[in-house]
Amino acid sequence: MSDGAPAGTFAVVGLFSEPQAIVDAATKIRSKKLGRLEAYSPYPVHGLDHAIGLGKSRLGALVLGMGVLGASLALLFEWWTSAVDYKLITGGKPLFSWQAFIPVMFEVTVLFATFTAGLAMLFAFNKLPFFGHPILQAKAIKDITRDKLALSIESAGADFDPEKARQALVEHGAESVEVLPIPSWGKSLTLVGLLRTIAAIAAACLVAGFGIYVAEKMVPVVPPMFRIHDQPKLNAFHASSFFPDGRGMRPAVTGTVARGHLPVEFKTPEEAGKLLVNPLPLTDRTAERGRKVYTDHCAVCHGVVGSGVSLLSSAYGAKPANLIADSARAQPDGYLYGVIMLGKNAMPSYAPDLDEADRWSAVHYVRILQRSQNAKDEDLR
Amino acid sequence: MNTQAPRSALARNLLLLMVLVGGGGAAAAYASVGPSRFWANWILWTLFLLTLGLGNLFLVALERLVGAHWSVPMRRVPERIASLVPLAVPLLLIALLGVPVLFPWTHAEAAHNPILVAKAPWLNMPFFVIRLVACAVAWLLFYRFYVGGSLKQDDSKDAAFTVRARKLAPPFMVMFFFTVTIVAFDWISGLEPEWYSDMFGVYLFAGTFLSGIAVMAQGVLALIRRGRLPDVKWKHYYNLGTLGLAFTVFYAYIGFAQYMLIWYANLPEEVVWFKHRIEGSWEPVALLLPLFSFFIPFFLLIGSAGKRSSKVMFIATLSILVGHFVDLYWLIFPTLGTPVFGWPELSMALLFLGLGFLQIRRAMGRGADMPVGDPLLIKGLEWQP
Repeated sequence: MSDGAPAGTFAVVGLFSEPQAIVDAATKIRSKKLGRLEAYSPYPVHGLDHAIGLGKSRLGALVLGMGVLGASLALLFEWWTSAVDYKLITGGKPLFSWQAFIPVMFEVTVLFATFTAGLAMLFAFNKLPFFGHPILQAKAIKDITRDKLALSIESAGADFDPEKARQALVEHGAESVEVLPIPSWGKSLTLVGLLRTIAAIAAACLVAGFGIYVAEKMVPVVPPMFRIHDQPKLNAFHASSFFPDGRGMRPAVTGTVARGHLPVEFKTPEEAGKLLVNPLPLTDRTAERGRKVYTDHCAVCHGVVGSGVSLLSSAYGAKPANLIADSARAQPDGYLYGVIMLGKNAMPSYAPDLDEADRWSAVHYVRILQRSQNAKDEDLR
Repeated sequence: MNTQAPRSALARNLLLLMVLVGGGGAAAAYASVGPSRFWANWILWTLFLLTLGLGNLFLVALERLVGAHWSVPMRRVPERIASLVPLAVPLLLIALLGVPVLFPWTHAEAAHNPILVAKAPWLNMPFFVIRLVACAVAWLLFYRFYVGGSLKQDDSKDAAFTVRARKLAPPFMVMFFFTVTIVAFDWISGLEPEWYSDMFGVYLFAGTFLSGIAVMAQGVLALIRRGRLPDVKWKHYYNLGTLGLAFTVFYAYIGFAQYMLIWYANLPEEVVWFKHRIEGSWEPVALLLPLFSFFIPFFLLIGSAGKRSSKVMFIATLSILVGHFVDLYWLIFPTLGTPVFGWPELSMALLFLGLGFLQIRRAMGRGADMPVGDPLLIKGLEWQP
């Protein structure tokens, strides 16, 4: 706290009755530069802040700065999330829709500004945590919290002279003067004290938690709000009295088509070969998707390279088509697509398992397998 | 405190000249550029004067309602500016002649428009006039009560009036919110009757309050400059700055909230009103609005030094007043098409500003510069921030 003031003095405190008296005394004592001035008062006194030499608080500027910082950070974050990192069009609006960003910017501005105001005031300017201010040990504290005002000259270095300070206070009209020694810190900051505090908090949590548990389980009063499973709601696979047909799940509207499962206009793979062309361009992505679809669904019978030879086919005695043979290579893309959709011989339809893009990607991959097994000279260059 | 400054005949003659030149220009405008632009200007300036007057009548009643002391020494200023209300009422009655020109719901085609047919029980000429007359009667009665009563108190020193004024403040508030909403719906959003926005009444109220504070601060500063309010110090108008700052934010909040909700929902019948006003040639005008009504006054008034300085207060409140004019222009003139500003607008500005200043000048002749009969005046003068 102090840095070696003689006789371990923290401050010299003088009591005053009249607001004007303390303002005048503070103005005069301040010019003597005896130490740091501090004032204690039960009510606001105009001009006292100037008299004890408090400058303009920097808190306002700090709050403004942090508010602007909050607004900028919020705008930056919103721009980055919605216009750069995860471009998702919402409601047909542009990706960078400043109108939608302003409420969040406003909230973050207020958040930064209020937290700065509160925390900076407490910790930066009022120097908390500060256990047991020495003034609380003074005899004068009773009067300060009632109707008297106190001017305190605090020790600000080795050259602090308590006697001079005492004389100055008396000379400028203090009714009584008291010398405050540097306090000996209480037991609240010892290890045992801290452990006791933590233990008390833990015990309070346990008691509160147990109390809530007992109240919730054993006292049958109004059920609490947080039993979310008790709310009235529709369950897809449960009965419900909400709809007249007594079902929770709604039947699909007639003519509903699932995404990627448009109804087909062909009856045989041959017809499909004449009707359809592959709408997907062959890219790294479609080739990779086709590889995955082929490996998951086709390779088990047609073999990893598409030759129609696999462990499973020999075990079941079936003869899956050789996809890399000339006959398969001669078929159009639409034919292969039609086989996936309708099935052929022992092969079932894969339409329910694969969506449209999966099927066309698989067709691309089959073409890649065919080319890899019938590579030409120029492929090596 | 009771001394009257010598009244200069020159200023009065200049104002009369302003009115004459402006009136001549306005008549020429009616003859040459057509009635719709004339009536748009007429409604714009009438509403400008009306909102300034109503805003100040509101400030007078607000002081009574909350029992404020700090504003008592300055109260004669809003009481005098409130005299714009009895000036604006006959102007609004004359504006009834322009209603068939400007308002689409009066036209014959309205009978074929399903939205306007649905709104016909509200938007029809007899009811429109009834509403206007009802509003005008309410304003004039309250004006008489608050301003006339306060003037009488100068001599009678009757403390009972202060109590009565406080008791009538809550009904005034109810009346004020209803009538401002009716003015907003009838005279502004009625110009494009297919549009609707529940918030529009609050929007006009926010503008009314904000510009009311601004013009009151201008009046106080002008009187201080002329040495007619020697006991009013910065600590009094500091509070006007605080209120102005708060309502700058409130106005921006209401304006933006209305815009954002309509922008987000993107409903065709709502969004077209804004689309017309923020795109194309109206975009620069729309950008002036937040500049004058929010950014300039907000950053000037946010620090405590700004609210203490008469110069900063002057600039900030002047910016608010310019913003209020731009606001009304931006609300009313898009019904005519692209932005127009020329000699017809300038003549109408001369005419109405001249009339407004003449009216305030007349009001300045009545009573002392401070409400010397108010028992709260001493408390107000001694008030400490």
